[in-house]
Amino acid sequence: MSAAEIVLLILAVLALVGVVLWSVAQRLDRLHRREFQTRAVLEAQLVRRADIAAEVAADGLLDPASAVLVADAALGSMRAARIVGDDDSAQARAERGLVESELTRTLRTALDETDPGLPPRSPEAAEAIDRLRHSHDRVQLARRFHNDAVVQIHHIRRLTLVRLFRLAGRAALPRTFEMDDAPV
Amino acid sequence: MRIGLVCPYSVDVPGGVQFHVRDLAEKLLEFGDEVQVLAPADEETEVPEYVTSTGRALPVRYNGSVARLSFGPVVAARTQRWLEAGDFDVVHIHEPLPPSVGLIALHMAEAPVVATFHSAQTRSRALQVAYPLVRPGLERIRARIAVSEDARRTVVDHVGGDAVIIPNGVYTARFARARGSQEWIGTSERPTIAFLGRLDEPRKGLHVLAGAVGAVLERYPGARFLIAGRGDAAEARAHLGVYGDSVEFLGALEERDKAALLSSVDIYVAPQTGGESFGIVLVEAISAGALVVASDLPAFRRVLDGDEGGYLFRTGDAQHLAEVITTALSDPEGARTRREYATQVAQRYDWNVVAAQIRDVYTMVTDAEAVDSRPALSGVREWFGRKR
Repeated sequence: MSAAEIVLLILAVLALVGVVLWSVAQRLDRLHRREFQTRAVLEAQLVRRADIAAEVAADGLLDPASAVLVADAALGSMRAARIVGDDDSAQARAERGLVESELTRTLRTALDETDPGLPPRSPEAAEAIDRLRHSHDRVQLARRFHNDAVVQIHHIRRLTLVRLFRLAGRAALPRTFEMDDAPV
Repeated sequence: MRIGLVCPYSVDVPGGVQFHVRDLAEKLLEFGDEVQVLAPADEETEVPEYVTSTGRALPVRYNGSVARLSFGPVVAARTQRWLEAGDFDVVHIHEPLPPSVGLIALHMAEAPVVATFHSAQTRSRALQVAYPLVRPGLERIRARIAVSEDARRTVVDHVGGDAVIIPNGVYTARFARARGSQEWIGTSERPTIAFLGRLDEPRKGLHVLAGAVGAVLERYPGARFLIAGRGDAAEARAHLGVYGDSVEFLGALEERDKAALLSSVDIYVAPQTGGESFGIVLVEAISAGALVVASDLPAFRRVLDGDEGGYLFRTGDAQHLAEVITTALSDPEGARTRREYATQVAQRYDWNVVAAQIRDVYTMVTDAEAVDSRPALSGVREWFGRKR
């Protein structure tokens, strides 16, 4: 094998390695974008749920005790640190999760309709509460899709190739968002 | 919203996925969305206006059974054209794993992709070999839906990540509206008990019911067993022949007659022995107001909320089935509460509810697509920039 051939072979191998690295970096890039996008959607859905909860509480559609507690939990959610843009520490994220779980639990009790002896709700109340339940369901979807994106990133970033060539650059390792979002 | 639905199986042949796609398309059109469907179909087959055919699907031996799949450069080109012409906000691919139109669309789609996993599948050897090729496509799926807990487990085990469960839809109103037919309505002297399903498919469990007929007739000599379904059942017929007029074979029934049968009879028996990832037959039955006696399969147990919405018997146990049928016939009060409970449960599976849930997923995905993702690039792109 002549020197030229050896050089060519080395170049070919380098090119191949380059292509592989580039494609993995592309995938990673795409997933990081998605993680950010899904987090923004989750944030938006959390805000929406708190808004509607506060509205339902203010409109006198619940009993007074429930109204106060739902309003309080909703305000707590509105005051907590955003998961996009604000303080992105693990602690802030965990606190937001606790606050949102609190709202979920409050709603679960405030909207409990399992007792068969309950009087029927007025059509307006039923409509508002349906809207609130719907917003809760959407939080659940948004969180699932966000966490899915996070898990996929973790999966790729564990690869030796990615760690060795530091393909993730300085992108922070994203975290899943944990909260109680079981049906209310 | 402009929605593109992709169905990997030929619309010429009946099948759960095909029906699901058709019903979903029609419901979304009713909601006011623009919907297009891409699916294999024979050239001569009449397809609805919203369906674009990728051509004929070929029977191919894949993963241990013969499936009718659509693939090759012509199919790829048609898929590409369909995607371009449709300019979709969301592309919703059903069963993205079988090597057919779905897998092709998954690679080509530039619009955000939602995927629905319908069946519990074992991961094929071929798919493992080709996994590096398939994986980038799978990563492109923004939202995964599984129609049942079993399908979800397939996603978790074989694809990784998770999926939201949105069940198959049923037009419950069609079944609820169905009028009973005089010849099938039972009396207290002559109660009617129905079976629906392929006669020559052992998994449908006709033999289990056959084993229970004798014991039921001992308690209720007037009971009539109505057996509906396609298939050659020489063996079952021979076996059931001894009961004479007590057992009637109705042959294959049209959708409408099926609904009428379900709303006429005293008991609908679902003796399936397995292979049901989702009990759609059960949902149809309870929508029609039938009292269900079903095998104790996880899928059935879930639809009936344990035994609150019907009666369960030990899967495959004919003797136990006979006992449960006689209990159900002799307990009108228990039967009534179960029927009522089941009617409530059926609403969860109504297309209005199910399609709205699916539409929520679309909204989630398009909302995310609309978010400016530049802030996310600070890390990854910066490194990219340095490399260049």
